Amino acid sequence: MRTDSKSWRDPVLVATVAPLAIVMLLFFVIPLVMTAVLSFQTTQFYRLSWTWDLKIWTEVFSKPHYWTIMARTVAMALVCVVICVLIAFPAAYALATRLRAYNAQIQILIIFAFLTDAVLKTFGWILVLDKSGVANWLLAHLGLGPEALNLLFTPTGTMIGMVYGLVVYPLFTIYLSLARIDRDLVLAAYDSGASRLRAFFEVTLPLSRPGLYCGAVLVFVLSLGAFLEPKVLGGGTAPLASELIRQSFETRVNWPLGAALTLVLIVIGALSLALSAAVLLRGSRRAAR
Amino acid sequence: MTKETADMARTGVDRRAVLKGMGGLGLAAAGAGIFGMPRSASAAESLNYMCWEGYNAPTILEPFQKQKDVSISVDLITDSAGGFAKLAAGAAKDFDLVSSDSPWIARMGPAGICRYIDDKDFAEQYAEFYPQFRAPFAPLQFEGKATGLPTRWGWVGPTVNTKFDKLETWSSYAPVFDAAYKDKICLLDWGDWPIMPLALYAGVDPYVPLDQAALDEVRKVLRAAFKNTRAIVADLAIAQKGLIDGSFRALIGGGTYATSSLRMKGHDYIQSIVPEPKNGLKQGIIWMEATGLIENGRDSKVAADFLKYIVSPEVAKQLSITEATCNLVPNAKAEALFSDAEKKALQMDYMWTAWDNSHFHTVAPNIDDMLAIWQEELAAR
Repeated sequence: MRTDSKSWRDPVLVATVAPLAIVMLLFFVIPLVMTAVLSFQTTQFYRLSWTWDLKIWTEVFSKPHYWTIMARTVAMALVCVVICVLIAFPAAYALATRLRAYNAQIQILIIFAFLTDAVLKTFGWILVLDKSGVANWLLAHLGLGPEALNLLFTPTGTMIGMVYGLVVYPLFTIYLSLARIDRDLVLAAYDSGASRLRAFFEVTLPLSRPGLYCGAVLVFVLSLGAFLEPKVLGGGTAPLASELIRQSFETRVNWPLGAALTLVLIVIGALSLALSAAVLLRGSRRAAR
Repeated sequence: MTKETADMARTGVDRRAVLKGMGGLGLAAAGAGIFGMPRSASAAESLNYMCWEGYNAPTILEPFQKQKDVSISVDLITDSAGGFAKLAAGAAKDFDLVSSDSPWIARMGPAGICRYIDDKDFAEQYAEFYPQFRAPFAPLQFEGKATGLPTRWGWVGPTVNTKFDKLETWSSYAPVFDAAYKDKICLLDWGDWPIMPLALYAGVDPYVPLDQAALDEVRKVLRAAFKNTRAIVADLAIAQKGLIDGSFRALIGGGTYATSSLRMKGHDYIQSIVPEPKNGLKQGIIWMEATGLIENGRDSKVAADFLKYIVSPEVAKQLSITEATCNLVPNAKAEALFSDAEKKALQMDYMWTAWDNSHFHTVAPNIDDMLAIWQEELAAR
């Protein structure tokens, strides 16, 4: 069998790869390097001073509150992933199996909601979660008393906003995985005597893993950068990393600190993904045996 | 100082919105340059203007553009410190004018970002100002030279809904720490604005160099305030909504910037006051915005003309009452142009009482320490 040798001297290959490589270099690698370079400088009287020292990194590693916020951000992101997947999976399953007749209409509605401006959606939640909002009005009419819910300006409020904004990602990735599953495989499981539950856990769930992982990764990464929800719905009760970085860049005009915290967040995100990928890979290998 | 979310609420600017708009903006920038399309391709001159929202109102810019045959491109700032940093990092060469908070404008002269103005060239404008703002106007002076002219001002004190609370209750910041007000206070996350009054309440003058003991006092007072506070919000609309419906009994750190637009819309029961001096220390803060001429080597005469224009009585009145916020202006002649309702909304009858009981807001020597404390205490909440 002849194997195509892909050489970097192949002009067609170079021409194909070059545009993407240039874009990545210009808009990802160089800014990242610049961010790293910036983190080794200092500011004096709100002006950048090219000092090349470890002052900022010493501050980052010596002040526990930065790590409190980073840990909170990762914890919130993980909780958000779990909630999003728990909501998205049944919904995607229903879309792919039970609601096929209305599939297109439902997807359009979801896309409309998804494309609605994030600011508008987040501020909309204030009208729902406020002490005198829609949720409390409904609960009061159900006899649960006035102001039964106090979710606005709490971490729970932040989480509701994050889940609402991000649940659509796993919904679609899981749906795509489920829609591609060969129905005959499930029927074969039934024919072999598997119950519905066993067929689901042994056929449907494993085959939907790619979409599930993909959705989870998307939610996790986007959650790490959640900015609007903690600011608007959280009411400063539990600031997350993005707000810490904004404050450092804007309010404190400490660009090196902002750059260092940005790198910390990127590294935390990358390590978390690498760790979860390793765990999943081990799980897949074990399942394959 | 950060008034970002007043703008965010109006313009819908946030990280995601920015990302979404990037594609469109990229195309627009490619076709029209960083600062967008000029007003008219045939304009004789162009000005690049960095300013807070309100200064960019078409009713303000268009008459000047027509009159001087000039096109003005605007770059809105959402944070005074951020605007200063941007100019200091090299963007100054791209701009001709800047309107920002006065402590930052005052720093731009000595930093070489703004050119000094000769007060004599603006004698006519100064003559129209209230005596408190006339030349030599100390807050904008450095070694006898002035950086820019004052354009808008107001005060920072408790903003109170008098339907729920008597004004006398807020003759001190004590309710911020009172258990009876737990979860009824809103702090505005506007940079140093909420820190200063609380420091003053703690008996610390934040405008002088502070030792560790004083900074520890600031930490204690912020910690106590956070413990009793329901929300620390940056968004003006959320803060105003809470104040109106009573879920917040008072806003701390916004002052007239958070009040006047509500009063203009008929909510005249909302008032910003300045607490009584405590142990001889004034408890209020006077904030002011100023407009400066940027040192870009062009020495633009039309930029200087714009500076005269923006403080003229008619334009000052327009600048005072904008869609987003309503503020006082230093031009005394402009006062005659306001209706009684507008004067009442701006609390003009109270403005000199507030002035007399306040410190003039400047960049505090230990501001970074105080902002770091704010960040640390917020993280520990």
